[in-house]
Amino acid sequence: MVDFSLTEEQTSLRDMARKFAKGEMAPHAAECDRAGRFPEEIYRKAWELGLMNLNVPTEFGGSGLGLFEQCLIVEELSRACAGMTTSIIANCLALEPILLGGTDEQKHRLLDPFCASYHLASFCLTEPSGGSDAGSLKTRARRDGDHYVLDGEKCFITNGPFASLYTVFATLDPSLRHKGIVAFAVPRETHGVVPGKEEEKMGHRASATSTVRFEGARVPVANRLGAETEGFSIAMRTLDQTRTPIGALATGIAQAALDHAADYSKRRQTFGKPISEHQAIQIKLADMAQALHAARLLTWQAAWTIDHGQPGSLESAMAKCFASDAAMRVADEAIQVFGGYGYMKDYPVEKLLRDAKLAQIYEGSNEIQRIVIARELLARYA
Amino acid sequence: MTGVLVLLERHAGAIAAASCEAVGVARSIANGGPVVGLLVGPGGAAGATGLGVDRVLLAESPNLDHPSGAQLAVLLAAAADAASSTTIVVPGTARGRDLVGRVAVRWNASAATNVTEVATSGSGALRVTRPVFGGRATEELELPGPRQVLALKPHAFSPPATSPAPTPVEPLALPEGLAKAPALDVRGFQPTVGGKGPELGDASIVVSGGRGVGTPEKFQVVEDLAEAFGAAVGASRAVTDAGWRPASYQVGQTGKAVSPQLYIAVGISGAIQHIVGMVSSRVIVAINSDPQAPIFRVADYGIAGDLFAIVPALTQAVRAARSH
Amino acid sequence: MEIAVLVKPVPDAETRLRPDAKGLALDPEGVKWVLAGYDESAVEQALLLKEAAPGTTVRAISYGPVARAEEVLRSALALGCDAATSLEAPPEAPTDAVSVARALALALTKHPASLVLCGKQAGDDEGGIVGPAVAELLGLPDLGVATNVRWDGGPGGLTMERSVEGGLEQGRTALPALVALQQAWNDPRTAKLPNILKSRKAPIERIPAAEVAAAMAPSAATAPRRLGFRLPPPRTGAKMIEYKTPEEAAEKLVRILREEAKVFP
Ligand SMILES: Cc1cc2nc3c(=O)[nH]c(=O)nc-3n(C[C@H](O)[C@H](O)[C@H](O)COP(=O)(O)OP(=O)(O)OC[C@H]3O[C@@H](n4cnc5c(N)ncnc54)[C@H](O)[C@@H]3O)c2cc1C
Ligand SMILES: Cc1cc2nc3c(=O)[nH]c(=O)nc-3n(C[C@H](O)[C@H](O)[C@H](O)COP(=O)(O)OP(=O)(O)OC[C@H]3O[C@@H](n4cnc5c(N)ncnc54)[C@H](O)[C@@H]3O)c2cc1C
Repeated sequence: MVDFSLTEEQTSLRDMARKFAKGEMAPHAAECDRAGRFPEEIYRKAWELGLMNLNVPTEFGGSGLGLFEQCLIVEELSRACAGMTTSIIANCLALEPILLGGTDEQKHRLLDPFCASYHLASFCLTEPSGGSDAGSLKTRARRDGDHYVLDGEKCFITNGPFASLYTVFATLDPSLRHKGIVAFAVPRETHGVVPGKEEEKMGHRASATSTVRFEGARVPVANRLGAETEGFSIAMRTLDQTRTPIGALATGIAQAALDHAADYSKRRQTFGKPISEHQAIQIKLADMAQALHAARLLTWQAAWTIDHGQPGSLESAMAKCFASDAAMRVADEAIQVFGGYGYMKDYPVEKLLRDAKLAQIYEGSNEIQRIVIARELLARYA
Repeated sequence: MTGVLVLLERHAGAIAAASCEAVGVARSIANGGPVVGLLVGPGGAAGATGLGVDRVLLAESPNLDHPSGAQLAVLLAAAADAASSTTIVVPGTARGRDLVGRVAVRWNASAATNVTEVATSGSGALRVTRPVFGGRATEELELPGPRQVLALKPHAFSPPATSPAPTPVEPLALPEGLAKAPALDVRGFQPTVGGKGPELGDASIVVSGGRGVGTPEKFQVVEDLAEAFGAAVGASRAVTDAGWRPASYQVGQTGKAVSPQLYIAVGISGAIQHIVGMVSSRVIVAINSDPQAPIFRVADYGIAGDLFAIVPALTQAVRAARSH
Repeated sequence: MEIAVLVKPVPDAETRLRPDAKGLALDPEGVKWVLAGYDESAVEQALLLKEAAPGTTVRAISYGPVARAEEVLRSALALGCDAATSLEAPPEAPTDAVSVARALALALTKHPASLVLCGKQAGDDEGGIVGPAVAELLGLPDLGVATNVRWDGGPGGLTMERSVEGGLEQGRTALPALVALQQAWNDPRTAKLPNILKSRKAPIERIPAAEVAAAMAPSAATAPRRLGFRLPPPRTGAKMIEYKTPEEAAEKLVRILREEAKVFP
């Protein structure tokens, strides 16, 4: 049966995330955006409250939430600051390959520290030569006794400068394409792991993004995740899990934009009345509300589908793609509602547009999502 | 005829202003009946004369130096019975308010705190009005007779004029229950030192100045008024942009959003960017020389005039009223 | 030590206030009921004392319609309280402070505590009556509205500070006692996610409505009757003060702030 009402448990999780977002994140969002500051104190608090390793099962000390609950939380966090949210949920992305490919021994050994104290992890797939075409990655892994030796460079790595563990995808032989890709868990202290400096970004400026270089880094075989042939599949299945929360992140941005725009429209007066009484503004608000609502419902449905054991590739691609496009549109219109003030950094809406943009790009660009959607779709007409 | 008993609280030897206000209220609901004051503790009847009560009951004992809520509740109930009072009014002080629940139970009375309006209604009942939800709403209650106990909201009532007539003082026989009531063991007291004012974000009163103040030096008139009120100081962006006062003073869209009980805007025109930061204040007062200034559209009370004449006079008047 | 914390469900701070159809109370339609702000401070105080004195247990107690009371009790459990008791409101659900105090006292006679903590007042009716009334009913000393409550381990050792007119008083009492907490002075913690999940499944003791009604009955005759619940009228522009001299303007404004607006400090 279709049921859109939240359980009491879901409501209390959402309320708790909302309280944290409002109380701890929102007050620092503008400042961190302006300065490009990585607010580690906020991330620590998020960890303390259990908001960080949402997807790690309770048996390994994580929060063990379903995707639906993760999405409820991510939307609330993102409403306050999408950039901080990206850094908070990066552990979910980085630890998922361990959950998917790791043995029980590896899970305990690698995940326990994350649940015992505050640590960040990074997911290292993208390379300077290409992100969308992950099958052609160039970072090399060479077997040497009971170690592998890694050489290459990853880029745009969220939390790269601050991570204590990297999940890294490297190839044994580029000519094997997908089949040559192996997944590893690489501790930061491994000799030859060199994080780069923080990039200057358009948005998500409270999050840190950097390159991570591997210069002959020796990784024990015990840290290989899955079989030698399984790396690509682990990467893709990881993204199948984490794509939907990006839909929630985008929905949170859209919600924030609508909140600001509706509120402002009732206060700003032109031609003797609040602009909310001009039909042109009402139409904008109505369209924004529809886009937001549709984004949320697609996200919820994708999460529900995956929580019910189906792959959900089509649903999650639709959710991520639609919600991020919606967030761009809604943030854009919010600026328009604010007029000149919307264009000023003093006001919160221009940040939303800059933040929304990333959701169209990372975790599989929207072009790639549309390719996936079309492929899934056309397969049904075979 | 209904008699009313008033708890007379003394601070540093003088009867608290809040108790004087309680006497005025007691008189207004006594319908010609006696208004009796209760004084507790060592210190005799000092300060009791001239308050406007018909007589004073004095509960004197050295171990009532720091009476506990439980002890005061016993004394109030006994005094009210001795004076045939049907209503007890306590001042809206920290100590006074803590008594209402105890007296309500001990004396089997109908109770209300934080009362801002009170009137008699038929058959011994009282109708009271009190703010709820932080002043965002008010509720009206009927307190059935025959017995009520009220605490007033501090400074919501004017004190009555003092009368020179001497007030008879009678000792209150200490009731039996007093010995059983748990005592309070007060170990120390630190008087509040007049330090810096409250923080802008959580002050209950904010006084803000705008470009109309003219220069950084003259901004002092705004700060003097704030000090008289015990208020936090705010400013419009015109003031902070000009560097007259630090950016942390700014109220508005890009400054702090405040919602105090009272917001006083001095020489501020009322641009929307300022208004969004203060419009949810409970009561807004504007002082501006331009009677057409938009700030008057969101204010509850306005004074059109030169701030340099009005504000110093207001500072004086506030100081006088508060030192009462 | 056994600590009891009295917690009240109040409308969330963002609730849009609206009178009900009869104009007598807040319209409960769509209201989200949460742990009152002052009560959060009381829970925090209880947890601080518990952390300082291992072996301490904390029971949260709430009165109200079952769904509301249990929602705030779950919040208290998620924050770290050990047990919870819900006093089921009788059908007519009296809300006057003394009746509520009698209900809470009933729970406290079932679960005697050496320290009873509550908020200074609730965020909705702002009465401040319930705590002292409970103390009177149980014959406990109450320390008024306090901050910085500390227990030095023995039965004679609770110290606290309370802010009174003109200064800060330091006091001490033997246990058992009741203390009302000032809001937010102790920076109440946020519940952790796993504890929220656990609290959803935790048992809550329920004292049935009939028993609660019997406990409340003695104060039925003194319960205040509601006559109205009003919102301030929308602003229609400032009332301009007429004056001849600045002094006159100032005096008029002071009088208005005192007598009409009731905001004079
Ligand atoms: C702030 C930030 C954080 C990031 N965090 C991480 C991280 O933690 N870990 C990680 O591994 N990566 C991360 N990324 C990388 C991100 O996932 C990639 O940027 C993304 O996958 C796109 O890859 P690319 O930038 O190399 O673009 P390209 O792959 O070069 O694509 C360029 C353009 O071509 C389009 N395109 C590519 N192929 C096709 C095609 N077949 N058909 C149609 N159009 C196509 C793309 O959609 C895009 O518009 C992050 C990126 C950013 C900006
Ligand atoms: C992006 C942006 C963000 C902004 N954010 C904020 C913000 O957060 N907060 C904010 O306050 N503003 C903000 N502003 C500025 C806002 O638009 C106004 O410019 C500002 O509030 C004006 O300040 P003011 O009222 O002090 O000055 P003015 O508008 O110059 O008003 C001065 C007033 O003083 C009165 N006056 C002059 N002399 C006297 C006298 N002797 N006695 C009595 N009255 C006198 C005048 O009649 C006039 O009404 C923002 C603007 C922008 C563009």
